[in-house]
Amino acid sequence: MDDSLTIAQPKERCASCFNEVINDDVFCTSCGYPIKGTEQEQRIFLSHIEANNIDYKDYNDKVKRAGNSLYYLAGFSLLGGIISFFLKQDDPNVLAYTLPSIILAVLFLALGSYSRKKPLACIVSGLVLYLIVQILLIIDNPVNIASGIIVKIIIIGYLINGIKSALELEKFKKEHNIKD
Amino acid sequence: MLSEEIEPPATKACVQCAALLNTDSKFCNICGARQSAVEIKVADQWNLLKQASIFYALYLLLCCLSKFTDAFQEMAWYLVLEVAGILLTAGFFAINWQENKALLKWPGFSLQKLSAYCGIAMAGAFLVHYSVNWLNITIFSHEEHLFNASRDNYYAIFLVVFFTAVTPALFEELGFRGYLLQSLLKVSDTTQAVYISAFLFAIIHLSFISLFWLIPFALFIGYERVRENTIWYGIFFHFCFNLTACLFELLQQPK
Repeated sequence: MDDSLTIAQPKERCASCFNEVINDDVFCTSCGYPIKGTEQEQRIFLSHIEANNIDYKDYNDKVKRAGNSLYYLAGFSLLGGIISFFLKQDDPNVLAYTLPSIILAVLFLALGSYSRKKPLACIVSGLVLYLIVQILLIIDNPVNIASGIIVKIIIIGYLINGIKSALELEKFKKEHNIKD
Repeated sequence: MLSEEIEPPATKACVQCAALLNTDSKFCNICGARQSAVEIKVADQWNLLKQASIFYALYLLLCCLSKFTDAFQEMAWYLVLEVAGILLTAGFFAINWQENKALLKWPGFSLQKLSAYCGIAMAGAFLVHYSVNWLNITIFSHEEHLFNASRDNYYAIFLVVFFTAVTPALFEELGFRGYLLQSLLKVSDTTQAVYISAFLFAIIHLSFISLFWLIPFALFIGYERVRENTIWYGIFFHFCFNLTACLFELLQQPK
């Protein structure tokens, strides 16, 4: 790298991202802040950054909420498994009834805990898994479509919002070079 | 060598004003233009996801029909479902033909690689066969046989092999590692795209117990497909796996 160039210049820091800038720079090379711009231009830039940060926080919250609904689903599945275990305790095939719920709980738990690291993959998988389980329940007994329908819609809504926000978040991270 | 003589340039030209910039600059220091190579449009990604979910929903519908309705257990209706599945997969694969057709090529064909993949597939099928039997016997106290209907008919065995080894290998690969994975790669990074396609592939088989081997199976083919940039190794892997599993079933059936 061309060290002589940066050493020769007095070091300054960008007022927006605090990265090092060189005296000749009109714009910051890491965030685009107008170093030599008018005060108004600088104010507009900073308010854009502020707005972006608010968006970023909003997307993060939505992804977090989607992750939390995966945890709730894990809890529900576990509860269902435990209840069916006690109801069918004397049945020789008791494991056949409880095991799917336990597997489901483990899957949702794993998806929930990884949803912070890989939001898109986990929320998409969680949503599809949830929908397939619902479809299987409806095939098993069509009345199931009505039970807890409001909760179902809320969970699906959170997950779909989570997918959209995860896309926005990835775009934001790519544009601003944010590493996980 | 030539590549050692030429040093990679430490500078690049600004996309807007062509001023020379450091390669790691995200903005031009002269005109302030953003230097990211591709502009990401979330609306386009969202549309791709919606399209993929239509494909998945239709595929799921076919799977549910074949699994849960009695009418489709008959040969004629079963064929109708198979053809519908084939048309669905081929149709979605063709939507983005210009890009997807590259996956049908086989760059760097290697017989060694192919036989290695086939070997792994057969060993995997062997392991899965015994572990699934063990699970079924210990947990569900019964053994499942897939092909009860056709064991007495010699010609039916060929049909069974065809419909469990050839068509799934070809069209599941075309659909999931072809169309779906290719769409997801445009929406997300490689790891997440491979992971999503593997998970979706695994749960469409509608069997909780099988998830333990279907997820690693699909992850393996997914990564292999991204690395080799062709779906052919995957198709042969899938074919060998299904064929081995199918032959096990046929051999073990009571005469």
